[in-house]
Amino acid sequence: MSMTPAEAAGNHVTAKAEKVKKTKPVRETFKQYILGPVIAFVLFIALWQAVPALLGMPHYILPKPTDVISAAVSDGALLWEAVQITVFESVIGFLLSAVIGIAVSILLASSKIIERSIYPYAIILQTLPVVAVAPIVVIWFGAGFNAIVVVSFLIGFFPVISNTLMGLNSVDREKDDLFSLYNASKWQKMWKLRLPSAMPFIMAGLKISCTLSIVGAIVGEYVAGVGGGEGGLGYAITVSAIQVNTAFIFACAIAGALLGITFYLLISLLSNKILGSWHESAMKK
Amino acid sequence: METEKQQAIAFSQLSKVFQNGTAALDRLNLTIEEGEFITFLGPSGCGKSTALRMAAGLEEPSTGAVNVFGRSPKDTIENTNDIAFVFQEPNLLPWRKVLDNVILPLELRGISKKEAREEGLRVLDMVGLKKYAKVFPRELSGGMKMRVSIARALAAKPKLLLMDEPFAALDEMTRQRLQLELLEIWEKEKTTILFVTHNVFEAVYLSTTIAVMSAGPGRLSSVIQVDLPRPRQSISRTDELFSAYVKKASDQLEDSLDEREDVS
Repeated sequence: MSMTPAEAAGNHVTAKAEKVKKTKPVRETFKQYILGPVIAFVLFIALWQAVPALLGMPHYILPKPTDVISAAVSDGALLWEAVQITVFESVIGFLLSAVIGIAVSILLASSKIIERSIYPYAIILQTLPVVAVAPIVVIWFGAGFNAIVVVSFLIGFFPVISNTLMGLNSVDREKDDLFSLYNASKWQKMWKLRLPSAMPFIMAGLKISCTLSIVGAIVGEYVAGVGGGEGGLGYAITVSAIQVNTAFIFACAIAGALLGITFYLLISLLSNKILGSWHESAMKK
Repeated sequence: METEKQQAIAFSQLSKVFQNGTAALDRLNLTIEEGEFITFLGPSGCGKSTALRMAAGLEEPSTGAVNVFGRSPKDTIENTNDIAFVFQEPNLLPWRKVLDNVILPLELRGISKKEAREEGLRVLDMVGLKKYAKVFPRELSGGMKMRVSIARALAAKPKLLLMDEPFAALDEMTRQRLQLELLEIWEKEKTTILFVTHNVFEAVYLSTTIAVMSAGPGRLSSVIQVDLPRPRQSISRTDELFSAYVKKASDQLEDSLDEREDVS
């Protein structure tokens, strides 16, 4: 009892400060960033579970989450096979759109005249509804794998090309002057200046195109999917729709969404690896 | 081989009118000898940077000509490593580490990697940043970035160093330190330096010659020979002689501004 009130207060303050310091990071991040989404998710699922039960909706109109899970489990083998096929198709489609998109952009950007003539169309073509031309692709490439990959490629191609072109033309004037001062050739400027400058843009394009490539593959499967275990998610969805197996459609759609998220995260990881050392957009995270 | 002092730069009747009709530079006549440290001092819009850019071949003259070591700037750049340029911003490539930034000019000229690295480390040492060779530019302060930029310009020993307000964006302390270092480098490397600034103190402290310019259109209004003792490191910035030159340069700068107002 020898402590003066002031000392006691002082001790109290420091103890409190330490406590706050220690617990703040974990607890605060949890509160600010994790708790909210988790609660929202739980509420959403609970609501989804409750509403069809309360309104007495039949499962083929709106299946409950439990219905979706049981459909996914009971037809697990089918779902897994469909997912694998769609992944394969969309990865090929994405790789094609990345490689061809970047290569075409470099060629276009290497000549002012060609670029000025073609760039407006590249922008306009981006608005082309690929879904609408998918049947033409099927006519040209035949139903099945090839047509699906082409649709997936087409849908992912334009974001890559427009972003890459924009990036290749985003070099600031002083850096361009610097290269001119050292008598850099057109291709030296391309490889050592324009392409690295465009990297953040290219990565943004790839992020868009990787999720689109899954959409493309599923759309391709709608119009060009063939059965016999080669159908993919899109084909599985069309078949389930005919059978009014709504719960399985939900399972397929959720699987597609998860694929998209995974794909996006992988490309983000790649992007951070490439840009992390220098670019600001990657540094902040 | 020339035995006498060569002309480094010759501006003759050099004019520049931009596409929007602005007369940036009006009939500039000036010759700069090798080994000089000449400063273009003037307000913004006096065409000092434009003159510099034309000497580097980054801008084409409207009329008149500029010659660098007896050739056109384009010709010099295509065939030699004589011209180097330091921009107002450090202008480093953020995806390259410091050393890789510095050796860029050598790389572009096709010099072998090994040779380029040796030269890169030599010039980095000169600006005191050798130990930062493996660091990305974003980890450096503004002053350090500018040092890297200067090191890059010094790579492969250019005969002419063109500097476009390189210290304008730096704080006063850093600026003074870099001015000192620049003088040391100039004395050691025997480069000709053409320096652009709107800072009177900087002009007096650094130069052997100051070309005072006036704006609208850009004209050369007078030339001041700065006969301050060398090395400049030894004199104080508050020295009487130094102040006298600062006053002289300021007065002429003001005169040139008055002239313009009389005209308009």
